[in-house]
Amino acid sequence: DYFVFRVNGCITSAESVLITQQSHEELCRVLNSNKVRSNQQKLVVVSVSPQSRASLAAKFQLTPLDAARKLTAFFKKLGVHSVFDTTFSRNFSLLESQREFVQRFRRQNEDKKALPMLASACPGWICYAEKTHGSFIIPYISTTKSPQQVMGSLIKGHFASQQHLTPDQIYHVTVMPCYDKKLEASRSDFFNPEYQTREVDCVITTGEVLRLLEQEGVALSDVAPAPLDTMFSSVSEEELLSHSGGGSGGYLEHIYKYAAKELFGIQVAEVQYKPLKNKDFQEASLEKDGKVLLQFALAYGFRNIQNLVQKLKRGRASYHYVEVMACPSGCLNGGGQIRAEGVSSKDFLQQVEKLYESVRTEVPELNPRIEELYEQWLGGTDSEKAGEMLRTQYHAVEKTNTGFNIKW
Amino acid sequence: MKDSLTLLFRIPAHPDSRCWFLAWNPTGTLLASCGCDRSIRIWGKEGDAWVCKSVLGEGHQRTIRKIAWSPCGNYLASASFDATTCIWKKNQEEFECVTTLEGHENEVKSVAWAPSGSLLATCSRDKSVWVWEVDEEDEYECVSVLNSHTQDVKHVVWHPNQELLASASYDDTVKLYQEEEDDWVCCATLEGHESTVWSLAFDQSGKHLASCSDDKTVRIWRQYKPGNEQGVVCSGTDPSWKCVCTLSGFHTRTVYDVAWCHLTGSLATACGDDAIRVFEEQQLSDPQQPTFTMTAHMPRAHSQDVNCVAWNPKEQGLLVSCSDDGEMAFWKYQRPEVC
Repeated sequence: DYFVFRVNGCITSAESVLITQQSHEELCRVLNSNKVRSNQQKLVVVSVSPQSRASLAAKFQLTPLDAARKLTAFFKKLGVHSVFDTTFSRNFSLLESQREFVQRFRRQNEDKKALPMLASACPGWICYAEKTHGSFIIPYISTTKSPQQVMGSLIKGHFASQQHLTPDQIYHVTVMPCYDKKLEASRSDFFNPEYQTREVDCVITTGEVLRLLEQEGVALSDVAPAPLDTMFSSVSEEELLSHSGGGSGGYLEHIYKYAAKELFGIQVAEVQYKPLKNKDFQEASLEKDGKVLLQFALAYGFRNIQNLVQKLKRGRASYHYVEVMACPSGCLNGGGQIRAEGVSSKDFLQQVEKLYESVRTEVPELNPRIEELYEQWLGGTDSEKAGEMLRTQYHAVEKTNTGFNIKW
Repeated sequence: MKDSLTLLFRIPAHPDSRCWFLAWNPTGTLLASCGCDRSIRIWGKEGDAWVCKSVLGEGHQRTIRKIAWSPCGNYLASASFDATTCIWKKNQEEFECVTTLEGHENEVKSVAWAPSGSLLATCSRDKSVWVWEVDEEDEYECVSVLNSHTQDVKHVVWHPNQELLASASYDDTVKLYQEEEDDWVCCATLEGHESTVWSLAFDQSGKHLASCSDDKTVRIWRQYKPGNEQGVVCSGTDPSWKCVCTLSGFHTRTVYDVAWCHLTGSLATACGDDAIRVFEEQQLSDPQQPTFTMTAHMPRAHSQDVNCVAWNPKEQGLLVSCSDDGEMAFWKYQRPEVC
């Protein structure tokens, strides 16, 4: 939301309609129609992001696991059939990003725009890049789908066929820390024309979940917990799992470790970050015998994105990979998150970060369910289907001349 | 009263175009002008006359709206409707464009250098105010993008001796910003004008800020520190700004610019009614409720809107103005003995 609503006004009226169509009221409408029309029911799936879960946990002073159990119970009471966790689909996003990076690194001499590879998970950044820097910047952006959209492919593809349903018989809702995820869900790339359905039908923000709770007159802390749905959730024996590398998904960290091993045979235990001008711009470099092998950076927030883009334009960006996120402090501080009440927003964000980081981390390569799905669902790691389901593309948007020709 | 302001010269600075803005270099020896013709002209004194020393073209694709000299006098920044800001480096009498700052979505309306010379502010029709940091190698980095205004931002100006930034907007407000931890934040909003605020000027001490508006008034705002004797409420450690005087009834159209002489305290205005006016604070007036007297009024100072007024920083009473008619004028202001 950082970009769309506050900075650029880059949103068109058509897009604003797409955004307002996705709301908690819309979810309630589908759930109500399910109750009324028993013959045309839709299977309702909710996929919750770990950032939203941490925000709700902080708000209601719960552990992330309790928050997950209570959210599952709350949604199911409303009539939702399954509640999943997008940490699960993030395993695919991380693995694909890792592989994509190594491929790009290897072809950097032939392809001048192979590097730096820029992260693709943040829709605010993608919206800005497509509209403002178009064809110049697009080749640098990773083609890997975000966890939300991978979850979309998984639910409307694999899960639907498992349930013997067509994709349009499932209503897929995600709970996200940012408004721009609504815009991402409505991209034409993620629309299934055959069934006239989207991979993600409706995105609701963390704040909208809070409004839904208020509407139902319950506090999340008072909801009796329910067991977690384990099919597409990062859960091990009723324990939640996460990824290392911070609240924006850990892309830099995973790619760094994988590339160090794959390209240079170096095993990295811990990535060292070096803050530069401000806390939202950090560097991590891999060196050997005084030579820099990998130069990575985190660039969060509009000002740092600006400087990165300008450096790229002047050919002065020496990075191999940059984890770009539109919001200052990253996704845990997303515009759709719950606003602090009674405490400073800084203290509240710290609580959210602490809760997020309290979840044990897993390594995507070692998740047997993911490996299994690569085989069963996608037919291997580099298959055509894996490309269709896990990768995407971007489109330069021509700048429209608004015809403004005012004196001042 | 008319005798207090006399015309010295009139120069067609940007013929067949608009002259938007004028800026004196810190020593008052050079005057820069800019206009719709996409050029910047540098004027210097030769004998008794002001002559064009150089023309800076080729930098911008569209109108140059405002210009600003760096405190050291070696750089000139230009804000253009082409969405960029150019930094020109002075080398003897030649100027070279060394950097183009990109990032604003559309028209850049104003540019200003902080007193330290290491920070630059720009503002735009895209509603944002940007703070840039300059390093020793003339590299510029954006350190903050401030989105406090809800409309087009018309003007930015720095406090004369603190890192405090002020901006004026089409949203009728003035906003003040300062650095907090590693980012800049809006620390005050000055509400009172009933229409677009076009320009701002601090007095020499930085304790007063003048704002001028489409509502035909000039407002004087005074800074109150926490714990002030007057009991003006401040939040936390930030000073509070209160409007202590409104100059109304003098201007018949939009007031486009205001300039506060740092040598004498005289306040000059540029108005859409083609006139220039000068005001003085009455001696012995209550500092909490100062009274200003109009000491000069030059109707038809130009044949069209007056866009800018600027006091020479070293020579008392030397005032310049420029207009939509493409001309600039040099004036001698004689402060009346009793005012």
